[in-house]
Amino acid sequence: MYSDKVMQEFKHPKNLGKIDDADAVAEEGNPVCLIPETKIETKTGLIEIKKIKKRDLVLDHKGTYNEVSKTFKRDYKGKIIKIKSKLGTNFLTPEHQIFAVKVPKTYHFHLYKNKKKLFPDWFHANELEKGDLIAYPILQEKKNKKYISFEQKRKKFDFKSKKIPDKIKLNNDFLRFAGYYLSEGNIREKVGKTYLGLTFNLKEDFLADDAIKIIKKNLGIEAKKKKREKRNTLIVEVNNVWISRLFLKLFGKGAKNKRIPSEFMILPEKKQKSLLYGLWMGDGYFNPKKPKAGYSTISYELSQQIKTLLMRQKIVPSIYAENEKTVNGVKHQKSYRIHVGERKSLERLAKILKIRFNVQKPTVTDSWFDSNFLFIPITNTEKINYKGKVHNIEVRNKHSFTTESLTLHNCGDMMKVYLKVKNNKITEIKVETFGCVSAIATSSKATEMVKGKSLEEALKLTEKEVADALDGLPPIKMHCSLLAVKAIKKAIENYQEKNKEK
Amino acid sequence: MNKKIYFDNAATTKTDEKVLMEMNRVALENYGNASSLHSMGQQALEEMEKARETIGKLLGAKAKEIYFTSGGSESDNFALKGIMNSKNKLITTKIEHPAVLRTAEYLKEKGKNVLFNSVDEKGIIKLDELEKNLDKTDLVSVMHANNEIGSIQPLKEIAELKEKKDFLFHSDMVQTAGKIKINLNKMNLDLASFSGHKFYGPKGTGILYIREGVDLIPLIHGGGQERKKRSGTENIPGIAGIAKALELAEKSREEEMNKQEKMRDKLIKSLSEINKSKLNGHEKLRLANNVNFSFFGVEGESLITLLDFEGIQVSTGSACSSKNLKISHVLEAIGLSHVWAHGSLRISLGKNNSVKEVDFAIKKIPEIVEGLRKISPVKF
Repeated sequence: MYSDKVMQEFKHPKNLGKIDDADAVAEEGNPVCLIPETKIETKTGLIEIKKIKKRDLVLDHKGTYNEVSKTFKRDYKGKIIKIKSKLGTNFLTPEHQIFAVKVPKTYHFHLYKNKKKLFPDWFHANELEKGDLIAYPILQEKKNKKYISFEQKRKKFDFKSKKIPDKIKLNNDFLRFAGYYLSEGNIREKVGKTYLGLTFNLKEDFLADDAIKIIKKNLGIEAKKKKREKRNTLIVEVNNVWISRLFLKLFGKGAKNKRIPSEFMILPEKKQKSLLYGLWMGDGYFNPKKPKAGYSTISYELSQQIKTLLMRQKIVPSIYAENEKTVNGVKHQKSYRIHVGERKSLERLAKILKIRFNVQKPTVTDSWFDSNFLFIPITNTEKINYKGKVHNIEVRNKHSFTTESLTLHNCGDMMKVYLKVKNNKITEIKVETFGCVSAIATSSKATEMVKGKSLEEALKLTEKEVADALDGLPPIKMHCSLLAVKAIKKAIENYQEKNKEK
Repeated sequence: MNKKIYFDNAATTKTDEKVLMEMNRVALENYGNASSLHSMGQQALEEMEKARETIGKLLGAKAKEIYFTSGGSESDNFALKGIMNSKNKLITTKIEHPAVLRTAEYLKEKGKNVLFNSVDEKGIIKLDELEKNLDKTDLVSVMHANNEIGSIQPLKEIAELKEKKDFLFHSDMVQTAGKIKINLNKMNLDLASFSGHKFYGPKGTGILYIREGVDLIPLIHGGGQERKKRSGTENIPGIAGIAKALELAEKSREEEMNKQEKMRDKLIKSLSEINKSKLNGHEKLRLANNVNFSFFGVEGESLITLLDFEGIQVSTGSACSSKNLKISHVLEAIGLSHVWAHGSLRISLGKNNSVKEVDFAIKKIPEIVEGLRKISPVKF
């Protein structure tokens, strides 16, 4: 496997260890590689990586939640990779590992015919290209919660409202109503007159009736229906403080902050169909002729949760953010659009929405599911210069976590370089390596090659020169082994930076 | 040159000289084709049937239930594909040998219902999970003992489940033949795989036990050898060799296992004394010849290469030593974290090892681990 030179270098390595009074130090391959705003899938919703704390529960590549055991951050200057797919965009350092399928470029046609033969694996961010497939986990957690309990503590002026049951059935009816509320509902909080309202289109009489029926049956409260012909709306009004408070507690305050409670997210998929039905009937559309379907919300979190719900139904979602805009003098807030366009997905969605749908036109299939993952193509990658903090987390047991659009590994290669510099020359250099035969051999060789050289000369050292000096390395080992070269350069840069300040 | 210390007997073993002599004799004396009608063909056939008889007796099976194959992988493929061809549901474990695991994945791709049963942190199958999923299962395939961490699986308990639910039971016994007493009939197995080169027999020889009455389709079609189940001109010298090897292994089994167990326990005891080290697998339900340790902050490929410089031949489950930079699926299944899995080391003893060799390894391993930790930036 290895050349004789690699084995010789490994057998008699030089410059291994540390220097206690080093002039400069640098680490490479540390597991700290995402920009601070990257949103991570956690049990309680999406959280920016900079705000993730130890013991938060994050989604792993197997679709289950695991505890964060450590968080890291560091300063980073260099290239970062932008990876875009229909699920979103992420920025990460080039060596970060992503769970994906590398698609040979000559294989495209074949691939789509043999998609079941795909097995995802870990790839470095800079190895992936447009057309490769991201393996994104389907949330696998399941718990069939049957009731919601709700404590009703009376405050002043609350006497008007009739109490609702302490234990509310979390059944299909309630979930459908929750869907209506998330799409069409709002809550007015006024002393003595707090109410929950749902605004439907005049044509949606059947939805209004359904909502009224559910409120009566599940919560024992009468709701009123009001027609506003001029505005072309139909309003269902529930004048009850308890219901209002319950819904605020469950679904958040204000349209921008609407969200689905985490225990609803892990209900059995069958039950979640009712929630999707309610949501879609409210704010969604389904155009069988195009064919396409979509949903729009101003709540970022809700849009991401709908993504998760759709994936549990094996429906391929894509998400776009639409920036704030003014149309005909009406200001529209920044919104998130979820789009469904793939045929199988549309068929599944139509079934949930009880819409008759026969595809006439064939639609493009570029994404698909197996039992654990959604495979979705990368639509664009880009290298960008970045300077600032980068973050990472370590996850207990599973060693992976999920952002809004990528499945990432938390494990890095490990290397640390120590330098002594005199008269602009490297007089001493040592390296600590946690790695295989080739990592140790290259650490030894690379340090040997820069020893005694000026800083400028040393900076010119390339990975190829080191690999060539060892008669080549196995391709799979190139990346991790040549971290030594990167670490040396970084140490020199750290030294130069430090001395500039003086 | 240093004399090599061969501690990788779970990978393969040195062919026994007596086995080679037997193979030599058969190859030179009875080189006829067992399908030929002439007397030389019939002599070859007789040689083969004698071997079949011997193996049947040693494994507690009827001679006609023994089928010769090209090795463990073929036997596993034959059993799984042969049965599942007309069936739907298969349960196996997450720690099987790739010959079973990849075959099961293949069947899953083909649309079969395949479940991969979990194991606990000691590498023993979770029986409650198996029992829960057993409904409508056609085939259960559980290895007798794991090749990496040596955990011995509760085959008896699984076979007892057959009283409640009707399923066929296959076991990959590649690691246990000649090491643990096997009586296929009593163990209530329907299919079992064996490989000759793991018990000092020739490479390229294997056995599939198929209980009388169990029907499966052949993997290799052709001239209809092996009662139409496995075509191809029989490897008579190999067959005589595997029979001889099993005979020898069985003859010295108890004495040999006692000896190896003592060496194993000595290794385990000494390696446990290394700071931040841990034994992978079960303390008691463990193959007599298997030692699997992890050393924190050390990378396995470097470790085994340095041991190789000392003449010691061992293996690792480190990601760096695999073709795809993935850690061993077995270490992953027992929930070992990456840093620990990276630093794993497997020693598998054999009949040719001596206490002196064990003592040498006990002296060298801590030195090398220490050396690698010194140059590692992973602090603990």
